[in-house]
Amino acid sequence: MSTAAVTEVAPAEGVRARRLRWGALAHGQGLVGVVMVALVVVAGLLAPVLAPYDPTQQIPGANLAPPSAAHWLGTDEVNRDILSRVLHGIRIDLVVVFLAVPVGAALGVALGLLSPLHAWADVATQRLLDVLLAFPVLILAITATAAMGPGLRTIAVVIVLAELPIFGRLARTSVLKVRALPYVESARVMGAGETWLLRKHVLPNSLEPLTVQLAVSMSVAVFIEGAMSFLGLGVRPPDPSLGSLIKDGIRNVWEAPFFVVGPLVVVSMLVLGFLLVAQAISAQRRR
Amino acid sequence: MSPRPSLSRRRRPALALAAAVTALGLLTACSSAVGDGGSGGSGEPQSGGVLKVGTVTDLVPAAIFTNSNDTINLVIGQVFDSLVDYPIDSLEAEPSLAESWELAEDGTSITLQLRDDVTFHSGRPFTSEDVEFSIRQWADPKWTVQFQRTAAAITEFDTSEEHSITLGFDHPMNNVLDLLDILPIIDSETIDQLEKGEAYVGTGPFTFESWTPQSKLVLDRNDDYWGDTPRLDGVEIDIVPDAQSLVSQLRSGQLDLAQGASNRDIESLAGTGDFDQITFEGSERQTYVGTNVENPALSDPDVRRAIALSVDRDRVVEEVYRGVGYPIALPWPEYSPAYDPEANESLQQDLDEARSLLEGKDLPPLPLEYSTANPNNEAIAQIVQADLKQVGLDVELVPNEQAQQIEKLIGGSFEALWILDHAYAQYTPSSLAVSAYPFNAAKNTSNFLDDQYAAHADAAWKQPDPAGPEAEAAYADLNADLLDNLFLIELSTTFMQAVSKADLEGVSWTKRSELTFGETWLDR
Repeated sequence: MSTAAVTEVAPAEGVRARRLRWGALAHGQGLVGVVMVALVVVAGLLAPVLAPYDPTQQIPGANLAPPSAAHWLGTDEVNRDILSRVLHGIRIDLVVVFLAVPVGAALGVALGLLSPLHAWADVATQRLLDVLLAFPVLILAITATAAMGPGLRTIAVVIVLAELPIFGRLARTSVLKVRALPYVESARVMGAGETWLLRKHVLPNSLEPLTVQLAVSMSVAVFIEGAMSFLGLGVRPPDPSLGSLIKDGIRNVWEAPFFVVGPLVVVSMLVLGFLLVAQAISAQRRR
Repeated sequence: MSPRPSLSRRRRPALALAAAVTALGLLTACSSAVGDGGSGGSGEPQSGGVLKVGTVTDLVPAAIFTNSNDTINLVIGQVFDSLVDYPIDSLEAEPSLAESWELAEDGTSITLQLRDDVTFHSGRPFTSEDVEFSIRQWADPKWTVQFQRTAAAITEFDTSEEHSITLGFDHPMNNVLDLLDILPIIDSETIDQLEKGEAYVGTGPFTFESWTPQSKLVLDRNDDYWGDTPRLDGVEIDIVPDAQSLVSQLRSGQLDLAQGASNRDIESLAGTGDFDQITFEGSERQTYVGTNVENPALSDPDVRRAIALSVDRDRVVEEVYRGVGYPIALPWPEYSPAYDPEANESLQQDLDEARSLLEGKDLPPLPLEYSTANPNNEAIAQIVQADLKQVGLDVELVPNEQAQQIEKLIGGSFEALWILDHAYAQYTPSSLAVSAYPFNAAKNTSNFLDDQYAAHADAAWKQPDPAGPEAEAAYADLNADLLDNLFLIELSTTFMQAVSKADLEGVSWTKRSELTFGETWLDR
């Protein structure tokens, strides 16, 4: 088999694999997950249009007001419309989910793919990833906050650092597995370079587990943002985030139990939606 | 035991507390330390049981005399005694470890007769030398106490008699009784352990047993107390850093009393009928926005005045403090000789005037620091931020740990603006101007050093009669200084609050904002 033959077969398999992967999202739990995530994403993207008030506007006299026609989810303890804050809070999570997670994933995959090429680099990278994995995420968050102060930037850095070793390990495992397959050995014997092998064989064969992990990580990222903001390590007031809104809601749960419902529903939809997507892709892969 | 000032607790503050401005009238109607019952118990005082108290802040040994957090105040209030006690509704000192005293007419000395039946928890008898030791400790800058200047002005100690002492002052001063009310009598033999947080040996109704950092403190009843023996077997103070967890623990019965919850939570708990709110009337605290006048943006008095005119004080009182307090421009409570009702109304919200004062000034965003110890602070910070935004001044909120906030308060290291509360306006007015961290004319948190202010503070301090016409004239000068310079922008006078189970009786407090459990019992 020539190198050209290998390249001809690979695209056909790749297209089929992609169809299978995305086909998993067209029905059943995959579709439910996509719809849930899409609803939240659309709500966040359209927040400036949908939100009846500015998220930081303090409305005179509306102190912890219950849900009403004017304020569908009520108001908070400093007279802000909770619905508007939830909608704008989603945007923080969107940044985290669709920017920080992919950045962490990309860096991790790059490390996982490249480090096995050199023995010493592999050892050094794996020890570095060991160190990052040894830190529970919240400890990492506290450390990062101590160094950088609270804020969206810190949340993003924590998520990148949390995801990097996970994707690094996953990609490296795929590299080691795929590189040992006979057809890869054959390609190497025929003169294929390592970079070509990584690009044409290793990466495409790693995509499915990485896609599943990406969906899981996005779900976890929503949780991390929520936890950090809940602990006061995340977004600073008066900016809203889903985590800080839950924190504020819990603080007023006895007097205003309605407060926490909106942000909790949105976080649940995001987390559950991403998990359903991950499960659907994973189930499709096993078939 | 000296008659500790105490009030009966009221279940629901109603909005009547907004009328706290009439505190004097309310206070005179107050009853004993015994609460109003209402639990399933007999209503008769009972002995025994350990009181479980929750607070959000931990003990800080180096700051033990700074009156800077609830746990410190709880330890000082239970373990130590002072020489005199102010009742909560006046500045007429009452006996405690000192049975009587005589102030020299020229205000340069005081002679105190001490009780002869008092022993420290170690068993050592209390003598006049302990008074000298305690005052000298307070004069030592290492403790960073707020009354350091007053303590340092006491330069002569006649301890020739065991149970009598004469204190000579460097100059006439009218606030020595304030110092003697605040100063706890410290055991000289265990001062090294005190500095490390290993032992707190005083003469108070409870003995210090142990402290587990970030966890709890244990106090036991002092069976040899010189006053009435406490009814409780002991007090356990749990450190619960999160105010919401604190409230949850109280609701679930893990605590008998909580200190550090927000006013809103306290109001909500009291509304259930299962809990009593305790409002420290007579122990006023003032919430303020501090300004670092060394910050170029805040060195201009017009900018500080614009900030003062921007804030909606009524909203802070009504929405954050739930009506427990009243808006102010000057710190003094109504019964203070420095109280000036007209001046106190002089800083009403006026956004147009604030905007005109800021016109043409290109100000950068300013950090506004607040403590995360109590949810009230974040709410106030956000209200202030929104108010300042209306006049074109951008503020960035910076949350700090309470210990960090206090460190900056003492060190004067806030970058621009901060929110905190202060005490000491409930004492002789000169005490505020020469002692309190935010006001001390010699060194204050705002780094506001002004010859005229210092001269007026000194003049107020050195009048032998704190309520005489000369002193009142000096207070008027001080008020003018405070309003002209506005290095500290007062928002509201409020009262600290705690919340307890309804079956807890006889809780009282001091003018120093310390809860005291000497007469407390569990009605079960």
